[in-house]
Amino acid sequence: MKVSVRTRRTFVAAAAAATMLTLAACGPGDSGEGDGGGDAGGDGGTTTVGFVAVGPEGAWRSANEQNIRDTFTTDAGYDLKYAPATNLDQKSQIDAFTSFVDEGVDVILLSATEGSGWEDSLTRAQEAEIPVILIDRGIEPDDDSLYVTRIAPDNIEVSKSVANWALETFPDGAKYFTLEGPAGVSVVNERNEGWDEVVGAESSFTKVGAQTANWSTDEAKSVVETVLKANNNDIDLIFAQNDEMGLGAALAIEEAGLTPGEDVKIATIDGTKGALEALSEGRLSFVAEYNPLFGDTAVEAVTSALEGADVDSYIIVPSTTFDSPEAATEALPDRKF
Amino acid sequence: MSTATSSTFGERLRNVGRQQFVWAIVAIVLLLVINVIKDPTYLSISYSDNLGGLRGNLVDILRASAPILMIATGMALVIATGGIDLSIGSAMVIAGAVAMEFLSASGSSSLGTAGLALLLALLVAGVLGVVNGVLVSVVGLQPFISTLIMMLAGRGIAKVITGGQNTTATSEPFRWIANGYVVGLPVVVLLAVAIVAVVGLIVRRSALGLMIEAIGIDAEAARLAGVNKRAIIFTVYVAAAVLGGMAGVFATASVMTVDVSNTGNQMELDAILAVVIGGTSLAGGKFSIRGAAVGAVLIATLDKTVVFLGVPSSATPAFKAAVIVILFLIQSPWLHTQLAKLRSRRTTTPTTAEVTA
Amino acid sequence: MSHEPIVEMRGIHIGFPGVKALDGVDFRLLPGEVHALMGENGAGKSTLIKCLTGVYSIDAGEIVIDGSPRQLAGTADAQEAGIATVYQEVNLVRNLSIGENVMLGHEVRGRFGISWRATHRRAKENLERFGLGHLDTRLPLSTLSIAVQQLVAIARAMVTKSHVLILDEPTSSLDKQEVSTLFGVIRQLRSEGVAILFVSHFLEQVYEISDRMTVLRNGRFEGEFLTKDLDRSSLIATMIGRELSTLAGEHEVRDGVAPGQREPLLVAENLGRKGSVGATDLAIGKGEIVGFAGLLGSGRTELARLLYGADRPDSGSITLKGRKTAIGSPAAGLANGIALSSENRRDEGIIADLSVRENMILAVQARRGWMRPLSKKDTDEIVDKYIKEFGVRPADPDRPIKNLSGGNQQKVLLGRWLATRPDLMILDEPTRGIDVGAKADIITAVQKLAEDGMSVVFISSEIEEVARVSDRIVVMRDREKVAEIVNDGTVSAATIVAVIADEEGTAQTVAALDVSDETFPGTTSTSTPTGTSTSTERSES
Repeated sequence: MKVSVRTRRTFVAAAAAATMLTLAACGPGDSGEGDGGGDAGGDGGTTTVGFVAVGPEGAWRSANEQNIRDTFTTDAGYDLKYAPATNLDQKSQIDAFTSFVDEGVDVILLSATEGSGWEDSLTRAQEAEIPVILIDRGIEPDDDSLYVTRIAPDNIEVSKSVANWALETFPDGAKYFTLEGPAGVSVVNERNEGWDEVVGAESSFTKVGAQTANWSTDEAKSVVETVLKANNNDIDLIFAQNDEMGLGAALAIEEAGLTPGEDVKIATIDGTKGALEALSEGRLSFVAEYNPLFGDTAVEAVTSALEGADVDSYIIVPSTTFDSPEAATEALPDRKF
Repeated sequence: MSTATSSTFGERLRNVGRQQFVWAIVAIVLLLVINVIKDPTYLSISYSDNLGGLRGNLVDILRASAPILMIATGMALVIATGGIDLSIGSAMVIAGAVAMEFLSASGSSSLGTAGLALLLALLVAGVLGVVNGVLVSVVGLQPFISTLIMMLAGRGIAKVITGGQNTTATSEPFRWIANGYVVGLPVVVLLAVAIVAVVGLIVRRSALGLMIEAIGIDAEAARLAGVNKRAIIFTVYVAAAVLGGMAGVFATASVMTVDVSNTGNQMELDAILAVVIGGTSLAGGKFSIRGAAVGAVLIATLDKTVVFLGVPSSATPAFKAAVIVILFLIQSPWLHTQLAKLRSRRTTTPTTAEVTA
Repeated sequence: MSHEPIVEMRGIHIGFPGVKALDGVDFRLLPGEVHALMGENGAGKSTLIKCLTGVYSIDAGEIVIDGSPRQLAGTADAQEAGIATVYQEVNLVRNLSIGENVMLGHEVRGRFGISWRATHRRAKENLERFGLGHLDTRLPLSTLSIAVQQLVAIARAMVTKSHVLILDEPTSSLDKQEVSTLFGVIRQLRSEGVAILFVSHFLEQVYEISDRMTVLRNGRFEGEFLTKDLDRSSLIATMIGRELSTLAGEHEVRDGVAPGQREPLLVAENLGRKGSVGATDLAIGKGEIVGFAGLLGSGRTELARLLYGADRPDSGSITLKGRKTAIGSPAAGLANGIALSSENRRDEGIIADLSVRENMILAVQARRGWMRPLSKKDTDEIVDKYIKEFGVRPADPDRPIKNLSGGNQQKVLLGRWLATRPDLMILDEPTRGIDVGAKADIITAVQKLAEDGMSVVFISSEIEEVARVSDRIVVMRDREKVAEIVNDGTVSAATIVAVIADEEGTAQTVAALDVSDETFPGTTSTSTPTGTSTSTERSES
């Protein structure tokens, strides 16, 4: 049973509440305490958790992994062994994974740098009766008998939320342009998929074009500057697949003598502090969060797994959306990433 | 330089054709023509009160060229010595990180602060160049390896400088570097052209160009001729990094944000491409700053054309690659000999053939 | 030693595009002998070895091994025929263990694949034969000195129980002690009946270890001799292709200044560099032409490079015009008024893609530093002057130097060095590979320079040329200076050859050297007088 809750104009508390909801729905009435943490398994001793992580990759990943490390604390009864990949190299991850299995840790958290090639390692963990929980990244092929659960926000859901906002905001349709990440990356495909599922069906929406700006602010600025000229400024909406590109688009729009938010609206995904600031100034119109902070969810899943309770094979981390300057202003002081 | 005696128009034309970057100019013109076909007003330039300067697609192309011009110039010097600088994109992000971090920390929008940020950015980028220079010229590591190390380390350093964040700052004078106008012309273009011209002049008016070429063609012969190989190679890597720093300032001042994972990312490839398009061999030796500059403008034109034409993202790399492969084919000596063969076979009166050539 | 030859090569021909590398060469190797293959660089020694080891396939001729004719289509064929080779650069795998290196390709197999224990044991047995039983075969090879690696390489070569061992310049990087260890091993193998082909440019070592020698010159067979029957002068005369009697010729005493009376320009004391040239004392007077004579590899080029700073000396000092001067780089050499024209014009002289003009001003410009460029006027002055003075053809300063003939390139380079107005001009093989006319131009120029007060070091493989031009001749052998001959007009090439040949370094008379070649029965000696215009080609490396 998948649970996806979209909350609006609520923020950190919403995330925690959603976590509760999620777990209440899938676990057989476990601790249920929203503050997360809790005593692991209740067996008195500490629980050893091996975290096969991605390591330095970007702001989102840093926030995500820091959050996991901050949640699985010694005070909460955990001994977290953090093993980031060296240079995003899968082999270093497999090595770390194997040594966790050999050590006999209680549970393994895995954020795979690459989806494929994990069958052997996961089978070994299964033989050693060590539950594995996937954090954010899935595996390919997605054989959910090999792991307990995957906890991740859902790109398709997140971009659907942007699309739904677009439909509400432009009831009479709009001309829109999409700023994509690097071509072929799965995140880009999923964010396109969610958007197209909703907007593609609307004949009133005209796609002026899509171009990659490689997640980058200055490239996005350069792309949008030319796109505006090519279309005589006749664009209503820009869907930027990350915050940085959205900010670049805002700069280009301003330079063209237009006002972002009025002449052209910009919607972005991620929900970084910078984007919320821009939203609070009205330069962006909509920001959908791709929530990195799900350490609490992970703790609950670990607890359930160790107790042998049933855990859903995919736990979607609920993500918030922000559709007004006020919502952004409210959220800003607590923004962690 | 050349004291060439009187030559026919045909000969002169053929000499021009032998300069590889001429074909890059042809390519730029063709791309512009394609854009004009799509939209007849493509080349129009107007004065924008909002910006306080000229606006138009051509202006956009030149502005987009500015950072590439910087790194292509630096890369040309490095490649001419027989080396390569893969860390030039990291010099960009480091300079950007230093500038943004300094500006955001100081919180001041004064001209002095902006100047200091610029100076500091170039200085720190220069330090990266010093490390490259020492690794290559003193330690004697392979340029590819040394600069590859610095490419990886550099981005890491930038992340340390900003604490892993994409730092944003406000400084009107600093923003002006990339977005401002002087007598209607974009400052960033004026700066870029001036810097390329100054570097070109220094290199050709002093003996630096001769020394660089001598080292690139035959390092041992140059050393035995008394050329201070170490000092020249060192100089070249520092110059490349400082130019990379300038490119980083351009790129970050434009959006007043340093994006630690994306600013300058893979820009070394654009730089290398621009240099090669400009007719400098990757093996080192004879080089052309002018050619590299033309190559830089071509790359910017190509980037802009792709967006203007609305080439789908997935087809963009293929489109760019096709243009560049065709260009290299046209430039290749092989094609020229083939054409010459054809010509001599076909014509009976060589003089007319030359004129049509 | 009257066995049948184990290797017999007859009428070997092999050519590379444009070059006849071997032209009808005969060679034979008897069991239980050390046979030296002699010749200058480019004579065809390495080519012959590569024919015998299957690296090159021959165009014509016959190779008989152990009585049966063989087609050697690769190194594996040669190994299978019992021929083992140790090359100049030790070709072992530095990051494998000693034992793995010795047994590479011959690992001992047990029931479960390679048995490393047995392999190392066998390696140790092999090493013991060569007095290397004390080595731990499991250590990486790189922990050994080059000399010991050399011995390990021999041990490895002999794992296959070869009957023939080829040693190509095995001593070039060894010191005296190490050489004697190596020779002990060679003698032991010889007593076991192994036929050893030995190549070295150290005459002393050749005479110490070899029983017999075959001399090649320009890819041709010059003769086979018993070592004890061929004295050094005759050997050298054979190697350079002169009858001893033709090596006479005279030098005119140039300006009547006796050598001792010249004011010294440069005095080198104990100047040396390990592995390159031994500690050397040398004085060069103002306006003096000092010839360096010696075979290739004798250290004459290396000494010249030390004087200029092309290599950094690790011992000794240079006093220039009475002041101690450190010359650690070519730039320092130039700054101190020394110029060196390298023997390797193509790789160390010209900058191929640059124009004649740029090539000519390069050294002057380098000395000024890049920030102070020569003015166009100064540039043109230098370029015009030397193009005219040396008659560079074509006289187009904008032409890339690579499009000029060798002689004209050399003239441009001469211009490059003279434009720096050096006090000492070192010319290493300035006349090599250029036509007769250009050669004469250059010799005349050298003499004129000295007359104008410039000191000159003149190095040439053509000993007659050295004898004719030089006021004083420094004779080099085995990387040492062995003698200095004052050219009082009676010195001829033969005198110099005698000194090169003689261990004691005393000049012998031509008459005393006039030995008839006592060739080995059944071989021919075809030393041909070739006059004065022999060019020494060095197509081989």
